[in-house]
Amino acid sequence: MIQSVTVVRALVRRALNEILRVPGAAIPGVLAPTIFMLGLSSVFGKASSLPGFTADDFRTFIVPVGLLQGAGFTGAATGVNLARDIEQGWFDRLLLCPAPRVTLLSGVVASAALRALLPGIFLLAVAFSLGVAVPTLVALVIVTVLVMGLACAMACFSVTLALKFRTQQAAPLMQIAGFIGVLFTASYAPKPLLADWLRAVATVNPVTYILDGVRQGFVGGVTWADTWPALLSTVGLIGVLGTLAARGLRRYGV
Amino acid sequence: MAAIEVSGLERAYKGGLKAVDGIDLEVQAGEVYGFLGPNGAGKTTTVRMLVTLLRPTGGRATVAGHDVATEPQHVRRRIGVALQEAALDPLMTGRELMELQATLHGIAPREVSDRAEDLIGRVGLSDAQGRRVGTYSGGMRRRLDLAMALIHDPEVLFLDEPTTGLDPTSRTTLWNEVRRLKDNGTTVFLTTQYLEEADQLADRVGIISAGKIVAEGTPAALKAEVGLPHLDLTFDGDVDLARAREVLAPFGEVRADAPGGADLSLGVREGSSAIARVVRALDDEDMCVGRVELVEPSLDDVFAARTGSHLEGADVPVATAPA
Amino acid sequence: MTDRGFSLRVVVALARRAMLGSLRRPQFLAPLVLFPSMFLAVNTGGLGRTTGLPGFPKVDGFLDFQLAGAMTQSLLLGGVATGIATALEIEGGFFDRLVASPISRSAIVLGRLAATGATAVLQVTYFLVLGFLFGATVKGGIPGVLVVYLIGTVAAVGFGAIGQALALRAQSAASVQGIFPLVLVVLFVSSAFFPRDLLSSPSDVIATYNPLSYIAEGMRTPIIEGVGATSVLEGLAAAVVVVVAAGGVALLALRGRLREA
Repeated sequence: MIQSVTVVRALVRRALNEILRVPGAAIPGVLAPTIFMLGLSSVFGKASSLPGFTADDFRTFIVPVGLLQGAGFTGAATGVNLARDIEQGWFDRLLLCPAPRVTLLSGVVASAALRALLPGIFLLAVAFSLGVAVPTLVALVIVTVLVMGLACAMACFSVTLALKFRTQQAAPLMQIAGFIGVLFTASYAPKPLLADWLRAVATVNPVTYILDGVRQGFVGGVTWADTWPALLSTVGLIGVLGTLAARGLRRYGV
Repeated sequence: MAAIEVSGLERAYKGGLKAVDGIDLEVQAGEVYGFLGPNGAGKTTTVRMLVTLLRPTGGRATVAGHDVATEPQHVRRRIGVALQEAALDPLMTGRELMELQATLHGIAPREVSDRAEDLIGRVGLSDAQGRRVGTYSGGMRRRLDLAMALIHDPEVLFLDEPTTGLDPTSRTTLWNEVRRLKDNGTTVFLTTQYLEEADQLADRVGIISAGKIVAEGTPAALKAEVGLPHLDLTFDGDVDLARAREVLAPFGEVRADAPGGADLSLGVREGSSAIARVVRALDDEDMCVGRVELVEPSLDDVFAARTGSHLEGADVPVATAPA
Repeated sequence: MTDRGFSLRVVVALARRAMLGSLRRPQFLAPLVLFPSMFLAVNTGGLGRTTGLPGFPKVDGFLDFQLAGAMTQSLLLGGVATGIATALEIEGGFFDRLVASPISRSAIVLGRLAATGATAVLQVTYFLVLGFLFGATVKGGIPGVLVVYLIGTVAAVGFGAIGQALALRAQSAASVQGIFPLVLVVLFVSSAFFPRDLLSSPSDVIATYNPLSYIAEGMRTPIIEGVGATSVLEGLAAAVVVVVAAGGVALLALRGRLREA
């Protein structure tokens, strides 16, 4: 157990090192959610005056989407980095060490959870400086848990793709999944204002409930009714996608 | 007129670093010129200037009668180039790349297909021509690279380390092709870090070190400058080495040091034909030779004599000077 | 064959090669239409009711309004893809092969831009078909469709020239890819996705000076209104300005690279 924790910590440290030593590679991922948030609110800002819109301004409504996009990008980047490690042979070196494979997976996924905080913190700093109201501490804790959780889930998904395709050329697939997952929700408008088809998709999309969980505190107050579906969806996604990733890892090289 | 004329050619970078520091050379038409030197000596920089990919910062060079700096288009029409990295498009098939190259060199549309077919066959890639280059082995890429360089029958062919990384069979195939080109009158400027390649293929060799040419001539003449071939002798049992030196003295110069664990080393002008007489003379004195090795001077010895370092593993200083 | 005939033949050969490379690398081609399609779907599905906002132009549906924005986004991404392809060519050494060939320097740039233009026709076609499938109409009829193709193709060539200029300066595919967020920024401060009068400040002001606004509006007007001389001319003029300016920069970048070499 202690050995596993040590390995996980080492893998997380390696992933974080990449940010410190090659910051230029991380900057686009950190900036992109904020650019989206600012861009979308500058383009569609007037949408908040639609009857039935639940937030006073569009930017406040869209901040949670940016936070989850950051989690999605980070998760995708984790898979891309693993694909790069596979291409360069470094991953084979990892597999040769005695640590259990699930430990290796945990280390990679845990690093995504931590890295997802970077774009999130940057986005919140910009949003708050532009006048978005600061949520309560409880809301921020829930936001943190859900963002890290979604990053883990997306990392599991992109790791599965990386293990299957073993090439960085699968990167667009990893990124698109994150985009679709986060955007095909009540991302731009409350559910009642969505087109019928999008409302139907949002209803079955588990990320919608995670988004609702993140959005509470920014729009309205924190309620258990919005929190438990978000947590359940996060745990469910991690369970399903984590299982796929673990299976992919077990089959790797066989 | 020489196929390649270089005078004071220089390439300096910001900060004063000179990758090529004023070289002079001349390559006659139909000649194979070997340009030999360790990694970082300036071989590739020189080639890139001569094929108009890099602008000289000093001096002058003409290729096929045209100045590389002022008439680059004329030069490009007359040269074929196979660079150090086989610059191929992995998404295209071998055939497509050959036909593209033919088009880029102005070959008439009705001739493109036949020319491509002929050259692909010549380098042994007929079966693979429909496959994407990304699936080719290293040897196949090199062969395709060479074929592309020849599609327009260039007057001068530049080969920059063409056999680096190839297996022995592929290397031999390429060597045979270079010999065939020479027989057909193509001038070949070949850079290499392999002594044997320069020895086997080149009519003349130029050795470059730290941006300057340190030796130039035929391989035989260069090697003759640094000394005679020598016989390294190892005896069976105890032998009076002083007496052995006296016996050997009429056959040539006994060297001060015997390399590689041998007992004595004898410089012999006649080469291998001296072996039988030397062994017989020692045998007549009851000195039994257990092992005899004939060692010819190499271009590495030439390089070591001029620079104090070896070509292969260029940072290893010379331990003893040759006799 | 005359010099001009040879140059044309070379440009066609290089364009053909660039097209083959794109079609054989679908993972590069797919994002050009997949990402914009996704945004088109989400924008339309999420904000369709904004057509009722005061000041919104009269349209049959939000999809009709959004199509031009999606096309503009796709064509911009095509420009980035052109830049990445050029950078990969430089990194892989094939670019040196072209430079060492007896072809004009401008053919090296024009060949790939011709491919970008041809790809743009496919991109515009994709979005028009997608729009038709989901109920969009082109008020300007056949002339309107032709105007959309014209402005889109010219603009795409301009975007491709920007991508090439970046690649020739940066010489690394990773650097060119890194400008993707910047592409989004420029797009967001334009009227590609929403009417200029309804943009938030300061985007509404910036959009007035952003050529993307005129390109998008030039493609949008034939779809939602019909072929109007002003917007078409403005759109075409903006596209031509981008082509001329970016093309000039690309040729200068090529010359600079060859001079530094």
